Amino acid sequence: MEAVRRMRPALGTFVEAGASASAGLPALDAAFASLALAQQRWSFQDPASELSRINGSDGGWVAVHGDTVRLMRLARSLMLASGGYFDFTVGGAQIRRGSLPDHGGLPALERGSAQDVELRSGAIRLRRPVRLVLDGIAKGFAVDLACRAMRRGGATSGWINAGGDIRVFGDIELPLALRGEDGGIRPCGVLRNAAFASSRVSAARDDSFPADIIGPIGLAPQQGVWSVLARSAWRADALTKVAAIAPDDMRGALLARLGGQLA
Amino acid sequence: MNAHRWNAFFLPVAVLAGPTAYATDYLTVAQAQEQLFPGAQFGEQTLKFSGDQRDRIKAAAGVRQRNDEMKVWRAEKNGKLQGWLMVDEVIGKHEFITYATAIGADGKVLGIEIMSYRETHGGQVREPSWRKQFVGKSVSDPFKLDQDIQNISGATLSCRNVMDGVKRLLVIQQMFLKA
Repeated sequence: MEAVRRMRPALGTFVEAGASASAGLPALDAAFASLALAQQRWSFQDPASELSRINGSDGGWVAVHGDTVRLMRLARSLMLASGGYFDFTVGGAQIRRGSLPDHGGLPALERGSAQDVELRSGAIRLRRPVRLVLDGIAKGFAVDLACRAMRRGGATSGWINAGGDIRVFGDIELPLALRGEDGGIRPCGVLRNAAFASSRVSAARDDSFPADIIGPIGLAPQQGVWSVLARSAWRADALTKVAAIAPDDMRGALLARLGGQLA
Repeated sequence: MNAHRWNAFFLPVAVLAGPTAYATDYLTVAQAQEQLFPGAQFGEQTLKFSGDQRDRIKAAAGVRQRNDEMKVWRAEKNGKLQGWLMVDEVIGKHEFITYATAIGADGKVLGIEIMSYRETHGGQVREPSWRKQFVGKSVSDPFKLDQDIQNISGATLSCRNVMDGVKRLLVIQQMFLKA
């Protein structure tokens, strides 16, 4: 069986979409269109995104797409389930550190709690002026949606690799390689009907690798490349942040409880 | 989820063999033409930039025009201008990328396709004998991808260099390519 695949710039990185050749380019185009929508909705940098409208709101309900509500619900649940090791309310702190832009609005709390985010069908409300940041989960979620778009576009098997956030579906075994801290690449296995994500934590900021992870108070992320295997890409993506922050003696158990596995 | 169940979905690799480079070719020029301007006819031209012109490109785009030549294909359908296809390269700290950009007759970007992607840490790349360990192990005999199709995870590379490159191409189109 032949595969068709394309790589385009999307979500701030290089995204490869692949599918069985029988599905053809329309399935890949559907995936990239889905990724473009994700970028429009959940980019912190873009002042016109749904996320920026939420962050700039004054405590009232903000109408958003159903997928945004779903994503927020996942983020909130994981924040609670992980005891704050995954935290999507730290945008205020990241603005202060200069790793995210300030679009104005009410003076922001450095960080908040899961209870600050209220959800209902098609709308979101912030109970306190926190700045939500979806960097740790939205790319993975976008990969999940892009896979769904490919399936709907007729692909029975395929994959998305959004700068290392990877999901594979159908009868494909996708060989994986891992880029280490030094930039060197080593193979690490094959993936089938699962998702894989990595995050790199480095001592110094590096514009080639834009990542900034903030731990719960008193805990700093540990340097290295953290890779996690999970059923869905949003979960793998988010759990790399948990892996980077969790203390050594509880990392494995915490990830397993949250539905992931350190790779 | 226990480790046992996961083994069905993820098989770690133990054996490492000799070094080879990581590279993927996605599209030839002809394929990029057909994808970005389906059904169009193409006229090839080469733009040559003087030192002064390269300075002007840099001033307007904010990024340096490295080469003093660039190949451009003018796309037409039934004698009507559809736009231009430009093939360009960017060299990052970790990657070397050739990409095609389609710019419409109205000066707007119609599409960007990566034509080839190379990781520049070739000397450190190691590849195992993937196939051997999987022979006869698959339950439903899934479609096996070729060795060069392996996907890289790890530190996420920014695509800003390509986006900056596209800005530069738009400047070049405005300065040198007339509808």
